Amino acid sequence: MQNFSEVEKEYFEGNFNNYIVTLTDGTKLYVPLEEGNKDYDTIQQWIAEGNTVIDNGGGE
Amino acid sequence: MAVAGATGVITSAELADNAVTTDKLKNDAVTTDKLIDDAITNPKILDETITDAKLDNPGRKNLIINGDMRFNQRGFASDVDNAYTVDRFVYQSSQGDKFTITQDTDVPSGEGFVNSLKFVTASAVTVGASDYFMLSQPIEGVNSAVLNLGTADARTFTLSFWTRSSLTGTFGGAIGNAGTRYYPFTYTISSADTWERKTITIAGDTTGTWATDESHGLILRFGLGVGSDKSETAGAWAAGEFFSATGATSVVGTGSATWYLTGVQVEVGSTASDFEHIQYTEQLKLCERYFEVCGQGASGVAEATNSIAITEKFKTLKRGIPTLSLKASQQCAFRHQASDKTVTPTGLTAPTPSYRGFWTRVDGFSGLTSQGSIESRNNTASRGGFIFADAEL
Repeated sequence: MQNFSEVEKEYFEGNFNNYIVTLTDGTKLYVPLEEGNKDYDTIQQWIAEGNTVIDNGGGE
Repeated sequence: MAVAGATGVITSAELADNAVTTDKLKNDAVTTDKLIDDAITNPKILDETITDAKLDNPGRKNLIINGDMRFNQRGFASDVDNAYTVDRFVYQSSQGDKFTITQDTDVPSGEGFVNSLKFVTASAVTVGASDYFMLSQPIEGVNSAVLNLGTADARTFTLSFWTRSSLTGTFGGAIGNAGTRYYPFTYTISSADTWERKTITIAGDTTGTWATDESHGLILRFGLGVGSDKSETAGAWAAGEFFSATGATSVVGTGSATWYLTGVQVEVGSTASDFEHIQYTEQLKLCERYFEVCGQGASGVAEATNSIAITEKFKTLKRGIPTLSLKASQQCAFRHQASDKTVTPTGLTAPTPSYRGFWTRVDGFSGLTSQGSIESRNNTASRGGFIFADAEL
């Protein structure tokens, strides 16, 4: 159901702060790490389906 | 000495005090016609004589928010897929680009509506067993708790709505929880291209697990083409997740077919009362629990020459911690070091939202003085809120 193009982890001051989801229309969503947030829950489902999150690490 | 009643008429003066007791009156002897105007005054009504059961849905009654399709805070585009349309109504489908969806001004005459939601089949498709095309509104558990669903005290409720379509026949939908209990329903559109009001009364489900917190409490779905995997016989609660009723008309199956919806209401009781029109700003507040346009009340500091850090309180407490995003192509304006800085932001960095507000960096500026203060200065209509906060279900 989701329109995800890619999902990336964003770090802030070395800590995993949020996901950045890029939708197929180019819109970027800044998703908090919070169960019950529909986008966070959809990311977990997307990962469970075998998709990969981009993780460039926490270096700034 | 006069004989009482000699004239054939007993006047009030001829009756002793307390002569006419309740026991001496036949059942139904005192009809409305025999009461003079203003005969029943407030002091004559016993305490607790007028109960909720004798009133037609007292108090705030509609569990649906934005049922008149008035608010479109996202300014959604017509080619929306698997996303929210007008506030609180989400379109979900198994295939993309099959409908053109717009907020419309075609409404039932004389009912006080301004907007409807319009679907036009952009590309007809034969619905497969696993396909679905539907419009839904999830109702938060804290609001649907009043129905006592899943208990012996489950209350009967009534769905009503206005609809019109270029097609006629039996259409379908379903109402249920987050995936284990559903009640498929049907409604008939008998005249093409004509607004009709539909009502469906449903005895509350006494079984199943129904959330009463900030998660999905009750989900209303209108099927616009649903395959057999997610369709079930109408008119009874069923275990599982269903989006529509077996045999319902497939709007997506006919090219250029239209389907409109407005005046959606779910209320306690077995009758459909008139749609509850509420104040414009009151409705906006209800919508903002799930979606708010921000950025016009922000202040903060320049953290670099090209980035600012801002904080802002939400106008309404959120259902949950929201996702933030930038409104497409929306300028913002800030006052900084005695001059205006107007840009179209390029991104957010490390946003940290909560139920009550957020902090974030906003990128895309140039020429800022690091650590210099900034204040929102959205002084024209084109520089409105530029950050979306989405706490939808």
